[in-house]
Amino acid sequence: MPTIAELIRALPGEGEPAAALPQPLAAASMRPVPVGRLRRMGLLGTLQAKIAAAYLFYWVRGYFRGAQEKEKLLAETHWRTALRMLDSMGYLKGAIMKIGQMLGNLPEIVPSEFVETLDELHYTAPPMHWSLLSEMVHNELGNDPENLFASFERRACAAASLGQVHRARLRTGEDVVVKIQYPGIARTIGEDFRNLSLFLLPGRLGKDWDNVKSQMDDLRLRLEKEADYEAEAAMLTRARPLFREADGILVPRVYPELSTARILTMDRIPGVHLEEFLQRKPSQEQRNEAGRQLLRAWYRLFFAGRLFYADFHPGNFLFLEDGRLGLLDFGFMLPLDPELWQLLYRMDRALTTGRREDLATAVKEWSWITEDPSDADRLRLSVEYADWCWSARYCGGEFDFGDEADFVRGAALFGEMAGKRYSRSRPCTATVARQQFGCRSMLYRLKAKIDVRAVCEEEIKAADWDRRSYT
Amino acid sequence: MRVTAETQAATRERILVASSDLFAARGFEATTTRDIARAAEIGAGTVFNYFPSKEAIVASLAAAAVAEAHAEFARRDLEAESPQEALFAFVAAELRKLKPLRKHLPAVLETVLSPLAHNEGEDGRWLRVPHLETVSRLCHRQGFKELSPVALQLYWSLYTGLLQFWASDSSPRQEDTLALLDHSLEMFVGWLEGRPAEASGQSEEK
Repeated sequence: MPTIAELIRALPGEGEPAAALPQPLAAASMRPVPVGRLRRMGLLGTLQAKIAAAYLFYWVRGYFRGAQEKEKLLAETHWRTALRMLDSMGYLKGAIMKIGQMLGNLPEIVPSEFVETLDELHYTAPPMHWSLLSEMVHNELGNDPENLFASFERRACAAASLGQVHRARLRTGEDVVVKIQYPGIARTIGEDFRNLSLFLLPGRLGKDWDNVKSQMDDLRLRLEKEADYEAEAAMLTRARPLFREADGILVPRVYPELSTARILTMDRIPGVHLEEFLQRKPSQEQRNEAGRQLLRAWYRLFFAGRLFYADFHPGNFLFLEDGRLGLLDFGFMLPLDPELWQLLYRMDRALTTGRREDLATAVKEWSWITEDPSDADRLRLSVEYADWCWSARYCGGEFDFGDEADFVRGAALFGEMAGKRYSRSRPCTATVARQQFGCRSMLYRLKAKIDVRAVCEEEIKAADWDRRSYT
Repeated sequence: MRVTAETQAATRERILVASSDLFAARGFEATTTRDIARAAEIGAGTVFNYFPSKEAIVASLAAAAVAEAHAEFARRDLEAESPQEALFAFVAAELRKLKPLRKHLPAVLETVLSPLAHNEGEDGRWLRVPHLETVSRLCHRQGFKELSPVALQLYWSLYTGLLQFWASDSSPRQEDTLALLDHSLEMFVGWLEGRPAEASGQSEEK
């Protein structure tokens, strides 16, 4: 895949000449992150930022549009636009970039080229320069990187949406990665969302505005949480003991003495991302096992850890040479409180039996669907969608996630639900939907064939989940 | 004669140490020259034999801190990939040394360090001249010719603005100052690069 800068340069001159396009991302790396609401509003007034905001608006507006209209809008939003949006997000480096990642995981509304481009963004966004980085380390840890570590690579090996990642070696010999946040960025997330809310204001007269707004607020809160590396370190420390060596699933160890709210030092996992894994042309069994590991990791965190791993995109997983799987980013975790846990427990019954009436009961409770006849179509569609999401699990046996027709069917169902404004649901629904699509999208790209029920039941058993109250 | 000079130097040093402690404990505004004289165990009027004002004491403390920063910076093996990066490293080195004086800097920013200052005084010169010389040298090393007086004045305005911001920066560990420094240097270097080569002194090969 060419670099973003090359792609931007290669754009045909539609509307404006290529020379007038925003500077390539390589140059954007030197642009500081602006702090302060007014300045950021100024930025959002630029062409590329408007396009970025338009994408977000499109995503939310999707709830108010029919499927046909959506297709029309899609045609209008060429993938050139996605590239310009990347440039804009590289500039802001904050919540808008994160929103880009969200869009990247909703393949039903964005062109596939856009999804792939965003995948690239997960780990190739532009770096801060060394002097700034070094000063951040000194500011946070009280000493320069070269004094704190045996070695520290000056070039970033990956981008984090709120900063960047560097390889280093501890004085005790361990290979680590150090995630460093751009100064002041954590506090800009609230500003970003307030600005974006202004762009979304035209949608406030829509029937479900309150619901859309509450879901946006939910995302904002989670992003703010994600910006807190101390919270992420706590999540990593909570998740790590859930996996044994034999599981072949790695959660990096945190080094608290070299970590703060803005810096996170953890074990380096030597592996490759999904794209590179696929380029190596793995056998069907290797693909299947990779898919099983993804599901196993997710279910383990869920059942044994009561943690909802929400940030399900290819940049967060590493495939190791020996078949093991590494989990990287624990910023966007949803700890399941007792109330939500009880609700999910009741949902599990439906997912176990697969009976239509159990599915209906589950989606009614989840999405607050009433017995009112006006809710009948919503119920039908929601059950269809739940069936698409979970049939692989309750049917058991090998399920072919590479089945394109099935993937498209799910996307169409989601599109229809969105088009009919059936988005009214719990605040965490956006997060759950993102995770579901992220997971399905990765399994689809892996073309994995997996017995989901077998993997899931194994994890349920290991977690000692008590199902006696089902009967 | 020699003893007198030594005594003078020792008294001057005592005043600086006492002032530094008192500014840190009480703040610049709440500290009087009488307090300083008492802490330095000298007569109240004697302070003025050495420093004409409290601001001059801050300027002197700042000049010493900056000189130390410059000496350390000169010993460093700087591997900057861009003018911004080189300048950032230099200013950041100064900020580290100036940190104990951070909140008292406005006292000198309005006087000896002001871009509008007519008479900057000896310490003011010590704060300004070596700094600008280093900036010129770093820019030259990154491919620019000698910076014009206008470029230096523009730079100094950005720099003193940064110090002013830093003095009252309430963000965690003053991280916003780092972002502002990054932004300011981006703006300055962009201005240098954006001007016609003959006017900015930017070299042909750049």
